Amino acid sequence: MFLVTDLLVLLGANLILVQALGISTIFVAAGNRKNLICTAMAITVFTTIGSAGACAVDSILPKSAADLRLLLYVIVIGAVYICILTGTYMLNRNFFESVRRYIHISAFNCAVMGTLLSISGRAYDTVGGIGFKGYILGGLEAGFGFIITALMLLAAYRKLNSSKVPASFRGFPAMLVYLGIISMAVFALR
Amino acid sequence: MYSDPANKTSSRFDGLLADNTVLSALMVISPVIMCSDTLRNAEALIYAFSAITFISVILCSFVPRKLPYAVKVIIYAAIAALVYIPVKSLAQVTYPGIVSRVGIYFPLLAVNSLIVFRGESLFYGVKKARMITSLTFYILGFDAVMLVTAVIRELFTYGTFNSHMVDVSPTVSGLGMPFGGFILLGLMCGVYRKVRSALRPASDAEERKEGSDVSGN
Repeated sequence: MFLVTDLLVLLGANLILVQALGISTIFVAAGNRKNLICTAMAITVFTTIGSAGACAVDSILPKSAADLRLLLYVIVIGAVYICILTGTYMLNRNFFESVRRYIHISAFNCAVMGTLLSISGRAYDTVGGIGFKGYILGGLEAGFGFIITALMLLAAYRKLNSSKVPASFRGFPAMLVYLGIISMAVFALR
Repeated sequence: MYSDPANKTSSRFDGLLADNTVLSALMVISPVIMCSDTLRNAEALIYAFSAITFISVILCSFVPRKLPYAVKVIIYAAIAALVYIPVKSLAQVTYPGIVSRVGIYFPLLAVNSLIVFRGESLFYGVKKARMITSLTFYILGFDAVMLVTAVIRELFTYGTFNSHMVDVSPTVSGLGMPFGGFILLGLMCGVYRKVRSALRPASDAEERKEGSDVSGN
């Protein structure tokens, strides 16, 4: 029962179906299983580590300088981006070559930046804030939400790209309508 | 899917129709889905997107191209985040209440893929005059889609046009929700492709072939 509740919570707070973030990335990633897993993993890493950085930024940034938040988040994600690229390069050159495109796609993705801004907004709206743990959990939750939606899209990918779909609607248009229908179901669950 | 500035067949007007920013390249899609439910929202987002993208891409074109890709991407995003600050301040005066209503989608316009990723291949390898024209049409491409989506959604969701009552019945409240945005944009994307294939049959047949390759994997 707890698992079902958790799944519903994940769906209800889903960054793609509810907030429409990272759509073009998921369309590219859903093309094949490897792309999907690697992109989802990279986005989860960025949202989780980035959330920790966002927590640090939010704790030191005075309200009067709130407009600088976006710039500071860009610096945080930039630092994570460079660290992950350097880390994977130092770890194993072959591994670096195979994963670097996913790191490039994920770094300044609006799914990542949107997650940081959403969590920051949630922390601002919550009395007493959500704490460091809340930021990290929010980042992880967003990553898992991305994975769940990617799996849903993967299941229908072939059919939405098949020759049975009219040429004009084949691919992205059909996928957008499909996501819209799933999103409608998620809104009904909330 | 994208036009290449080095390709002689690509035109500087591609961003509006042949390679529309939203409907073809699928860039900056979230604000269109989430926030284009009223014309007032759309105006604010069009202003912000146009101002941030135009100024940022012009400034980013001066970033040395020899720098490593990752460093350039960070610099592009940082420039856009800096440009966002005065644009937001002006928006708060010009469109009071809209910036807070639009929420996270307002700052997200600043880290859009047209500036951070696509600018490199679309604008920076060509002469400044061509870059500015091409950039203007990519911006207009987004503006047009945003405007059309907002008019349709406001009309059929609230029965209003720019906050003035219009006799539309029945209204469909779901069209104002995110799922309504997904479905409407999907339908618009399909219609756009149909129109484009009627105007440019050869290039579209090529794209359809590519599409069937994907499904055959």
